Amino acid sequence: MKRTMISFVLIIAVGLSLGVLGISKPVLAADVVIGNILPLSGPVAPIGKVGREIREMAVEEINAAGGIKSMGGAKLKMIYADSRGDPKVAMTEAERLITKDKVACITGAYQSAVTYPSTEVAERYKVPYLVPVSVRDAITERGFKYTFRVAAKASWYARDQINFIKALGERTGLLPKKLAFVYENTDWGTSTAEGWRPLAKEAGFDVVLDEPYPANAPDLTPVVLKIKRAKPDFILFVSYIADATLLMNTIAEHEVDVMGMISSGGGHSDPKFIPNTGKNSLYHFDACEWEADLNRPGLKETNAKFKERYGYNISPEAANVYASMYVLKDALERAGSADSEKLRDALAKTDYAKGPGMIVPYEKISFDKSGQNPQAQLVVVQIRQMPDGSIERCTIYPWAVGRAGYEPIYPIPSWKWRKAVGRAE
Amino acid sequence: MDIMVTTIINGILMGGVYGLTAMGLTLIFGVMKVINFAHGSFLMAAMFLTYYLFQLTGIDPYLGLVITLPLLFAFGYYTQKVLIRPVFKIERDVREPISVLMLTAGLWIFMDAFALALFGAFYKTIRTPYKGAVLHLGDVIISLPRLYAFLTTVILAILFYVFLKKTRLGRAIRATGQDRDAARLMGINIDRIYNVAFGIGIAIVGVAGAVLMPFYYVHPVVGVVFDIRAFIIVVLGGLGSIPGALLGGVIIGLVESLVAQFITATWTEGIIYAIFISVLFLRPEGLFGFKAEW
Repeated sequence: MKRTMISFVLIIAVGLSLGVLGISKPVLAADVVIGNILPLSGPVAPIGKVGREIREMAVEEINAAGGIKSMGGAKLKMIYADSRGDPKVAMTEAERLITKDKVACITGAYQSAVTYPSTEVAERYKVPYLVPVSVRDAITERGFKYTFRVAAKASWYARDQINFIKALGERTGLLPKKLAFVYENTDWGTSTAEGWRPLAKEAGFDVVLDEPYPANAPDLTPVVLKIKRAKPDFILFVSYIADATLLMNTIAEHEVDVMGMISSGGGHSDPKFIPNTGKNSLYHFDACEWEADLNRPGLKETNAKFKERYGYNISPEAANVYASMYVLKDALERAGSADSEKLRDALAKTDYAKGPGMIVPYEKISFDKSGQNPQAQLVVVQIRQMPDGSIERCTIYPWAVGRAGYEPIYPIPSWKWRKAVGRAE
Repeated sequence: MDIMVTTIINGILMGGVYGLTAMGLTLIFGVMKVINFAHGSFLMAAMFLTYYLFQLTGIDPYLGLVITLPLLFAFGYYTQKVLIRPVFKIERDVREPISVLMLTAGLWIFMDAFALALFGAFYKTIRTPYKGAVLHLGDVIISLPRLYAFLTTVILAILFYVFLKKTRLGRAIRATGQDRDAARLMGINIDRIYNVAFGIGIAIVGVAGAVLMPFYYVHPVVGVVFDIRAFIIVVLGGLGSIPGALLGGVIIGLVESLVAQFITATWTEGIIYAIFISVLFLRPEGLFGFKAEW
């Protein structure tokens, strides 16, 4: 009890002094103050921490390179506000950042549920709010003028998976006709499947199986046999790790031959997926936000620098944050002022295609009328065996950012052949 | 057609494994009239034991039974002796002691949380030489690890049945299950029988853990996946009945496999529960009515 009291008092003391420092530190007139709302405590604090680290690194780089040149070398100054992952706290913090700290712009807030209401506050005060990653579709669908999002919307997962299947078919001349949807039966799986249905119809695919399954089922062999009977050309998955493991190993056992399989991150991106399925995972496609092997100039160096400083790789969220900081810098250069209105107009005219911030897989970053970056898209990796025998996730799509020297292997070889030559467990 | 045959075979094989997970539960219930809520956690412990034995020494799960079985028997024996018996003593005169139920429920939560702290939250699998091996009969495909698991289950069920019917200890266990007080009057050491029954129950779970590992994953809450199935099977087959558990398991396995072929897999669970409820209504003593056999 006593110890908790002491640590409680300490935390408050540190918090207060930080707060006081934040306010009392003299802000140079030339500085551009940027407010950042992040979940620095609470259940997703680790992500907030990475978000802060990548921001610090990007801003340091920008400032070291001479700051905002059109503003006489003005430096960027970051102020961080802890949302605690709580929408209400985030709204108060947004208000504080705008009225008290007079920020030129806000960035954040990672969680969609937090971003959604806090962008509303910024809209009311007419301060631009740059959203690197929150995925909820509605964030840029409310007719807001001051909200800009760099990364893809949630529903674009489905869009990009279907697009990828089409692109793969066009590239190889082997267009699959029959699709199977196999997904876990909670929100995530069913809402993704809802996205697939109209897109598949539009693209002229036949859906031969539309199968939700309980993620905690002890045996998924019945589902796999059902897939086998439906004879699809391409399977689309939404799975957690336990079911992804069972499905993949059972598909190998029952030798379900298809042209390709694509999943939606989650279990298939889990670090244990490849160890648990071994060579059975080879040739599997997985759609995800970002991979560290993207073919982008400067990415390797940026990642190495980040890893050296903080001890781990840039995360998909962090990559988008890093790009966002450079987008902001670019807009400030063009605006030539920290005035919110001018900055908003400059952001709206963004057309960022080249520069150190382009470590994301998009062709460029610009914003449509709704404030969404229409070029935002996911990447597709294929699980491949490297020459040294190790198994890696290898980016192949969008074609322009695929790992150098790697073409997709498609259609995937038959299980009989794979088992004969040791490309399966 | 071949796929339907494959489906039926898979249902039977998987059902056998479900039956195996239920067998220990039904024994403990039959003898002690205690529902062991920590059953799934014991399964999880058995799977982790098998996992680490294989990862650290490379001993095959089936061969490893020589080591895991005595360990798990001792685990069960002493869990009963040290943890359950004192609580049991207090409620000596109650036929179905509630506080023991609470105790096993607490044990379940403790074991799962402890495993999470000790082994981490990752899903782990092992790679035995026969992992993913299959038997082709024409176009019918049979998973070998599951076939081995099923055969082991059948052999174990037969051995265990004979043990209960023919041996002195087996008879004492059955007598205790039928009438605790009469058994005591006949000179049976009830406490020891309880220890042994609990130990055997957990050892059977150990076999389930060993046969599951070659084709399944292990995780701190993996027990929950099988727990619910096991409880349904025990009631379905008749509380305390060994053949009932095995047949109940096969029925559940078949329903699960076949239902998914005609309607969405998410319905399987619903249909299993519907069968469960109708059995409770129509034949509360269990589908096979082996109740009096004990």
